[in-house]
Amino acid sequence: MNFLQRVIIEPFESSYEKFLTFMPNFLTSLALLIVGIVLAAVLRMVFLRIFRAINLDKAAQRLGLFDMLLKGGIRDSLSAFIARIIGWLVIFTFAVVAVQTLKIPTVEHLLERFFLYLPNVFTAAVILLFGYLFSNFFGRAALIASVNAGIQRAGLVGRLVKITVFILSATMAMEQLGIGRDTVLIAFAIIFGGIVLALAIAFGFGGRDIARTYLQRTVGKEKENEENRDDINPL
Amino acid sequence: MADTAIKREDIQARVTRIGKADILVGIPSYNNARSIGHVVRAVQAGLAKYFPDRKTVLVNSDGGSTDGTMDVVHDTTIDDFRSILLSHRVESFSKMTIPYHGIPGKGSAFRTIFEIAQALDVKACAVVDSDLRSITPEWIELLVKPVMEDGYDYVSPLYHRHKYDGTITNSIVYPLTRALYGRNVRQPIGGDFGFSGKLAGFYLSKDVWETDVARYGIDIWMTTTAIANDFRVCQAFLGAKIHDAKDPGADLSAMLYQVVGATFGLMEEYPRTWKSVTRTQPVPVFGFTYEVGLEPVSVNIQRMIDKFTLGARELVPVWENVLSEETLGFLKELADAPQDNFHMPDAVWVDIIYSFALAAHRNLLNKEHLLKSLTPLYIGRTASFVIEAWESSGPEVEEKIENLCGVYEKLKPSFSDRWK
Repeated sequence: MNFLQRVIIEPFESSYEKFLTFMPNFLTSLALLIVGIVLAAVLRMVFLRIFRAINLDKAAQRLGLFDMLLKGGIRDSLSAFIARIIGWLVIFTFAVVAVQTLKIPTVEHLLERFFLYLPNVFTAAVILLFGYLFSNFFGRAALIASVNAGIQRAGLVGRLVKITVFILSATMAMEQLGIGRDTVLIAFAIIFGGIVLALAIAFGFGGRDIARTYLQRTVGKEKENEENRDDINPL
Repeated sequence: MADTAIKREDIQARVTRIGKADILVGIPSYNNARSIGHVVRAVQAGLAKYFPDRKTVLVNSDGGSTDGTMDVVHDTTIDDFRSILLSHRVESFSKMTIPYHGIPGKGSAFRTIFEIAQALDVKACAVVDSDLRSITPEWIELLVKPVMEDGYDYVSPLYHRHKYDGTITNSIVYPLTRALYGRNVRQPIGGDFGFSGKLAGFYLSKDVWETDVARYGIDIWMTTTAIANDFRVCQAFLGAKIHDAKDPGADLSAMLYQVVGATFGLMEEYPRTWKSVTRTQPVPVFGFTYEVGLEPVSVNIQRMIDKFTLGARELVPVWENVLSEETLGFLKELADAPQDNFHMPDAVWVDIIYSFALAAHRNLLNKEHLLKSLTPLYIGRTASFVIEAWESSGPEVEEKIENLCGVYEKLKPSFSDRWK
């Protein structure tokens, strides 16, 4: 009898007690999750209407964000995309609170670490977003300025400026995330410095004949242009 | 608001000393020591000869010249009035040289001139460029008399110019302004204007002095503001406009951006006015019209076509946001055309300008990027026009510009409908 009591009934009673203690937490957690899902749907709809009222999609098209979403495989408008993110953020927040309500120590510890890291992810995402916008803006400005200056490789200049600005922002984002902090910085410095050095060496030694020809042609062209310049006064 | 020159104590003291005046002539300048002496003499002679019984003031508004422009203005005077066949007594003539404040540019210089005009309560003003070589005393009479004696508020200049000169004026600003506001002001950005003291006060009341109006945009802004606000406008024939060679370093795309940007900006300000205009009314012309000999203008057509072709090759991703597929297709074909067949028809050009105006209105792109990307198209259009007008005389070229105005007017209703 004692054996049966110790091996089967006592563990069963203990588990049952634990289950009884856990059950209210579980139900609360479930209720929180359901509230979160409903609230997310409501907020998603409200924000969608607000974004459409302030013509966010038009601004997104102007800033090149629409193209960015398309390239990323997202066919939604920016309004719908942000509204959906807000909805998921609400669900995620309620899910986290729901999990914490369960009061499981291991999960609590993991969540704490996760939350400490979350600001870094957010900052990195913002840096990347602005990096993309700036790279588009400066790339286009460089392209137009180069075309108006008559530079034959204008497209290349525009692309180089765009890529450089984006790589710079990606480096900053990775540093923020703490991924290979020093490695990324050093790699960027090496690649960037390397390109400049390679160009200098190529122009100074390997391509000195080309450089000479190029400079002669450019200076010659300037003189020729000066002789053949337009006297048209546009105003 | 930025601090303005009129608030300076020494300027106020000078204004107080002068008290009131009848006529003010303003000369904006920046490093024009070589030519401004002639302009000052012409202005002084004009005021003495045609307005001897009026109290007159000459204001030089300078943008920080380092070549002694202000000293030249200060030292220049007509010692012997008999040399200009003048023997009668002349009412007081004062001269002020003022370094202006604010954004460097012609607009900021004009603002200072307007402020002095308002402070002196003048009846009529005129502004003339400081690099003019062809200005005569008669210009002052022609710019000021319609205001003083005929009650006009704005006198726009009318010049004989070389058939290739004033390409932004001829291909964009004049026909567009005419189609929009229904007044055929032939040189809306001529640079030399006459206006009433009342209009100077009206200009000052507008909050535009920190915008591109403060730069190259001032001329079209003055003309359009006068027309759109129902001020009485006329034109004065001044003969030939010959001035110092343009600065070869001047950035064409910046010029285009400021002038066209100001024109498009004004469309935002007066949509009801220009939408209601359906026909063009003639603007009266003062002065005796005569033919003049003009200095030859050299052009390099191949270089223009090369610049257009480069734009057509590289800027399609930018233009895709603005132009229709049909127009884009035409431009791509034109880029491959040999020089002999290089022709951009009026209808295509007008469609381009209206499309850019709509893109600016809808904020499809950053405004500076949008308008600077117009430069290769403008150069292409200029090349096409030069080829087309190679054998044409001055009057024949004027006829071509008239035809272009007709196309702007014809396409205006559909453009107006798309402007929401």
